[in-house]
Amino acid sequence: MRHLNDGTLRRIYDEPLAMTAADQAHFDGCVECKARFNGIADEARTTATLLSVPAFDPNPGAALASVRARIKRDEAARPSRWYQRWIDRNTPRLRPMATPAVAVLLAAVLISGVAVTGVAGQLVRVFQPRQIVAVQVSPSGVPSNLRLDYGQVKWLPEAPNPQQVADPVTAHALSGLPVLMPGSLPTGVSGPVSYAVVPHATGSLTFDAARLSASAAKAGVRVKPMPAAINGSTLVVSGGPALLEAWGLSGAQGQTQFPTLVIAQTRVPTVDSTGATTAQLEDYLLSQPGVPPDLAAQVKAIKDPSTTLPIPIPKGFATTENKVVNGVQYLVIKTALGAGVVWIKNGVIYAVGGQLTSDQVLAIATSLH
Amino acid sequence: MLNAEAWRPTVIRAPLSAISGRAPDPFERLFLLEYPKVVAIAYRVLADRPAAEDIAQEVFLKFHRSFNPDSERASGWLHAAAVHSALNVIRGERRRAQRETAHALDRSLTAGSDPEHLVEAAEQRREIRRALSRLPERSAAILMLRYSGLSYAEVAVAVGIKVTNVGTLLRRAEEALRKEVNRATSE
Repeated sequence: MRHLNDGTLRRIYDEPLAMTAADQAHFDGCVECKARFNGIADEARTTATLLSVPAFDPNPGAALASVRARIKRDEAARPSRWYQRWIDRNTPRLRPMATPAVAVLLAAVLISGVAVTGVAGQLVRVFQPRQIVAVQVSPSGVPSNLRLDYGQVKWLPEAPNPQQVADPVTAHALSGLPVLMPGSLPTGVSGPVSYAVVPHATGSLTFDAARLSASAAKAGVRVKPMPAAINGSTLVVSGGPALLEAWGLSGAQGQTQFPTLVIAQTRVPTVDSTGATTAQLEDYLLSQPGVPPDLAAQVKAIKDPSTTLPIPIPKGFATTENKVVNGVQYLVIKTALGAGVVWIKNGVIYAVGGQLTSDQVLAIATSLH
Repeated sequence: MLNAEAWRPTVIRAPLSAISGRAPDPFERLFLLEYPKVVAIAYRVLADRPAAEDIAQEVFLKFHRSFNPDSERASGWLHAAAVHSALNVIRGERRRAQRETAHALDRSLTAGSDPEHLVEAAEQRREIRRALSRLPERSAAILMLRYSGLSYAEVAVAVGIKVTNVGTLLRRAEEALRKEVNRATSE
């Protein structure tokens, strides 16, 4: 089979579920297509950052009231055009040439000659997960109040602001991710569904040895001196958008509620570095105070840390199991209260969890569409 | 064990009809379904909330004057009209700089952020929109429709191309935008 074209690879990034079975089979086994996909995904992430705007939840009800009022005013001002409106409203086909906006569209279609360019990235990719692994964390080993200042943090253009939205259309419009539905729902899980969207965000951290020393002195802890390769280098983190769908949150207000089912999806985060390598960052950060030695040992044991996402599992509270269904690796997490499953496919991290058994969450995970 | 019958969740929409107790007319139904997308398209182009709301309302008014809300092409027309109306604004606008800076300084939107950072972010967005206004119309339209959250099928209908061509044209548009931004920042 021929390699997938750029347009198909670009669509996989946005609509991974739209892939044909033949394309998926080729993609899964083709190193070259995966490498081209990564380049295309990088370009898409850069564009998402360039075109990002502050969050905004529209109010269709208020807008409709305003439009209705204007329609009323229009009709009062131009009573003589009733017959024209009647003809227009009852014309079964739209008349594209009748409006300037569509004329502009027609003119646009005639324009050709799209500039194509390629600028080599100046950053080194240090993290882009393609697989997941569970790491056991002892809850008592993580100090909750230790905050060290590693350097200057900037959001480009601003920190992501999660927002709750009322319906799947808005959730899809704001996140650009498909609203997923299970093939079937277990008994006890029923609608309505609540949606939350976290927009795409890019942030940077510029390491600063002086700031770290000062914050460590203030917190009364000893830190390992920051290596010269890390001091002054910048990490650029790109994450999201993310879309969460939750069932079982529709009860009386004021009560603490736990959803019966949550489906979450987010594009894989990426981390690029202007200087420090993955190995240098791993060595240094894992030896810092606040990182339990057993966690550090587990992360260091990961064969390819730049493409593996560690999922922290609280020791004693949860157990994990790896399952492979249709070539996709699922990490199944079981707890006394419920179960969850996490997997990565075509550049998107998915998670399903709830007050369910591990078989139930896996059945939901493998039936999403 | 999964119960195939028990799953379908109820999604509640159309708040106006719920209040008034009547079935929504076709225009209202279309409005409630499409307004979030139409305003999202205009907002993505303009990065200006009040201006995006104005454009979205104008688009629906134009639609109401001329077209049948039951038409199967209504959504595509609305999306196309929104993106082209908004792109026309960034091409012709003279007072954008002042207005966007004022918008950035709206503390109610971004309480807690420092004004210098907000002005810097607004300037970045303005620079990107200037680059966008220099792209060919179709490239800019495809880019903004997709980054407003429309599916490839919806983008294809709005622009009048095959859905299989959206990925290729989108990729070219992304490269063209980056080239324009790089050119602007290196000048």
